[in-house]
Amino acid sequence: MRMLAVFEKGERIRHIGHLDIQRSVQRGLRRSGLPVAYSNGFNPHILVTFASALSTGACGKREIMDVTMAEDVNEEEFLRKMNRAMPPEMQLSKTRAVDRKHPSLPPLLRAAQYDLLIQEERFAGKLIDVIPAMMARETIQAMRKTKTALKECDIKPLIYSLNGKDRHIYGTLVLTERESCKPGMLMEALCREAGIEEEVRVLITRTGLLGENENGQLVPLETL
Amino acid sequence: MERYETGEGQQRMELNERFERALEKVQKAPRYTGGEMNTTVKDWDSCPLHFGFCFPDTYEIGMSHLGLKILYGLINRESWSLCERFFMPWTDMITQMKEENLPLLSMESRHPLNAFDVVGFTLQYEMSYSNILAMLEMGGVPSEGKERGENDPIVVAGGPCAFNPEPLADFIDAFMIGDGEDVMTELNRVILDRKEKGLSREQCLKNLAKLEGVYVPSLYRVTYHDDGTIAAVEPTCPEAPATIRKRVVTDLNSTYYPEKFPVPYTEVVFDRIMLEIMRGCTRGCRFCQAGILYRPVRERSLEKLIELADKLQVSTGYEEISLSSLSSGDYSCLPELIRELMKRMKEKRVSISLPSLRIDSVLKESLEETQQVRKTSLTFAPEAGTQRMRDVINKGVTEEDLLEKVRDAFEGGWSSVKLYFMSGLPTETTEDLDGIADLARKVVAEYFNVPKAQRARGLRVTVSTSVFVPKPFTPFQWAAQDTIETVLAKQEHLKQVLNIKGVTFHWHEPYVSFLEACFARGDRRMGAVLKRAYEKGCILDGWNETFRFDTWMEAFRECRLDPAFYANRERPKDEVMPWDHIDSGITKQFLWHEKEKSDRTETTKDCRKGCNGCGLQRWKGVCAYANAGSI
Repeated sequence: MRMLAVFEKGERIRHIGHLDIQRSVQRGLRRSGLPVAYSNGFNPHILVTFASALSTGACGKREIMDVTMAEDVNEEEFLRKMNRAMPPEMQLSKTRAVDRKHPSLPPLLRAAQYDLLIQEERFAGKLIDVIPAMMARETIQAMRKTKTALKECDIKPLIYSLNGKDRHIYGTLVLTERESCKPGMLMEALCREAGIEEEVRVLITRTGLLGENENGQLVPLETL
Repeated sequence: MERYETGEGQQRMELNERFERALEKVQKAPRYTGGEMNTTVKDWDSCPLHFGFCFPDTYEIGMSHLGLKILYGLINRESWSLCERFFMPWTDMITQMKEENLPLLSMESRHPLNAFDVVGFTLQYEMSYSNILAMLEMGGVPSEGKERGENDPIVVAGGPCAFNPEPLADFIDAFMIGDGEDVMTELNRVILDRKEKGLSREQCLKNLAKLEGVYVPSLYRVTYHDDGTIAAVEPTCPEAPATIRKRVVTDLNSTYYPEKFPVPYTEVVFDRIMLEIMRGCTRGCRFCQAGILYRPVRERSLEKLIELADKLQVSTGYEEISLSSLSSGDYSCLPELIRELMKRMKEKRVSISLPSLRIDSVLKESLEETQQVRKTSLTFAPEAGTQRMRDVINKGVTEEDLLEKVRDAFEGGWSSVKLYFMSGLPTETTEDLDGIADLARKVVAEYFNVPKAQRARGLRVTVSTSVFVPKPFTPFQWAAQDTIETVLAKQEHLKQVLNIKGVTFHWHEPYVSFLEACFARGDRRMGAVLKRAYEKGCILDGWNETFRFDTWMEAFRECRLDPAFYANRERPKDEVMPWDHIDSGITKQFLWHEKEKSDRTETTKDCRKGCNGCGLQRWKGVCAYANAGSI
């Protein structure tokens, strides 16, 4: 049996990198006393994977871990025991038991929802105002960082939806194993559109990870 | 500096915002953000006593320190006191804090240092002293005791370096001498009493001085001879005792030990369960300060250790347990302990890291069976290259011992061995340096004596030499440290003779050790040097990239003090040492006796084989090996 668990990466710990989050989850699982499965080999580790790595500096509202269990466990018990074992900034909100043969999550991932909180009021209005104009363009240019260089690319096909309110910009952006639109790329394109040259401080929260159901609709990944 | 009062919501929110802005611009922000598992955030307003625990180095170092975990748990356990942590920020964060006009904030509730009633520093090594001044200033606390007003915190300090408190006398209001868990609560009660009764700062300090093991330097007057040596250290009020006797926890089983440790998100230096199996050491190495300060030797019982290991494993989720003490190999039921721990931890997939010196054949088998040992590198500390030199320092290791253990290791599949030595020990000659190379060569030979099919590939022998620093409360406290020139010449020689295939040589720069020697045996006048060096920009002296030796030397010159007076001068027998009013339990007479034996190349037996009369026998029931009849 595997347990899919939705958890939070809180604002206070948003500077923690993915590797450290992984280790913290491993240790949380060890503290919980839940019957988790271990890998074989010289340095056995808990069989836990993550639907998607979250960048250093970003908060996560509905991140997903995928834990292979050595014995069957009740969803509610898993949630309760883990929440006792995890720090306040990494609490779980939902669990779903699936069969061991349930497809692994990363290939099913299609998109992510973001809440981008613009820290300075003076930029927020401008950025939100230019959203319709930017979305009306045929292509939206942004710089993508590859391992070796910066590459110009068109992010328009990578944006499912984009809107804003108060100081928040809400976007649903493509996130698959092959391609993605990072919030930074979107911000860069928006700033260009709004003619802002200063650095805009933004608090990034990934609010959901989405997959596609049989009707082609985007739904929370853990429900697939 | 502006003062940050608590309870002012708007101001605190704004402070938080500035802090968040600073974090975005620094490397390793998690050092500053807290929220780790097993940390305690108590309600600020309903808790009467606020203790700010300051580790005067970076987060990664501080969070590896067992004492922090013990005292953090101990203070937070009391309903009336809370403890929050402070660490020394790295230079990039300091820049950002200045930019944002941010004070030093606690890891837990983000209160500034000057909002606490007590500010407590742990003194683990001398090279962290400038960080103390930096943390006080950044925290809005006047760095010198005499500048502090009625609303400022009481600044206290403890730890091994508190045994020579004098260089920090200007900056610390009260020192705790000896085992911290024994005195901590009493000290906090006195400070709470001041707060509740509205007593003056001066009265509070006098009350603190009445506690056993607490030294309040402002209540003592130091007079000097014309040659700069000390004439006398005398109390100036009836509350201050003439000598301050260290505190000793007599029973490790009943004293407080935390059942949970904070678990950092990021990797720190020691990221594992530390199980303190005993305190103190009976071996009597003459260079070793810890071996004197932590006397007598006290063991935790097997049952207690197993209980703690179980609880800590559950509360931390750590994958590794290490046994902590000055000489774990001497723990009386070590094989039983290790076997029991391995049995219990196997299922939980927790590995036990072992004191490498004591892997006997029986243990080796059970280790291989459980596959729990990672064949990384084994560390040995012969400390000196010749038997004569080892006898001088009373390091009871023979060449045969060492080579036998190395052979065992090579046969057991290890191929990497680290050897630690000290250079600059009293009476050291070129022959002793050559002895280091000889020993390294013999270790290499042991490897090649193991049949090729049996030994692991990739021989790596690492020889590290550190520079000897004479420390207070050791038989070498009268000794001169080698001058920097001599150290450099010796290192040059070592580099040549250690040019051996399969051997890598590491050495310590002599500059830090020289400064360390000045502070280790410094007097009150060193406070001025420290302050001057700090003002000139010296901080984080324990780090190569930030250590500025030349600036330190300028500070000495500007304060008209000669560092060689502290480091390179052999002191006469009858000289009053700056720390003579601190009673470590071990008599000066015993230390001198040991120094004389060392001069004659005579060794002293392990206390477990019979009392050597170090002085602790005077304190009834404190040392298990004491014999009241000895000198």
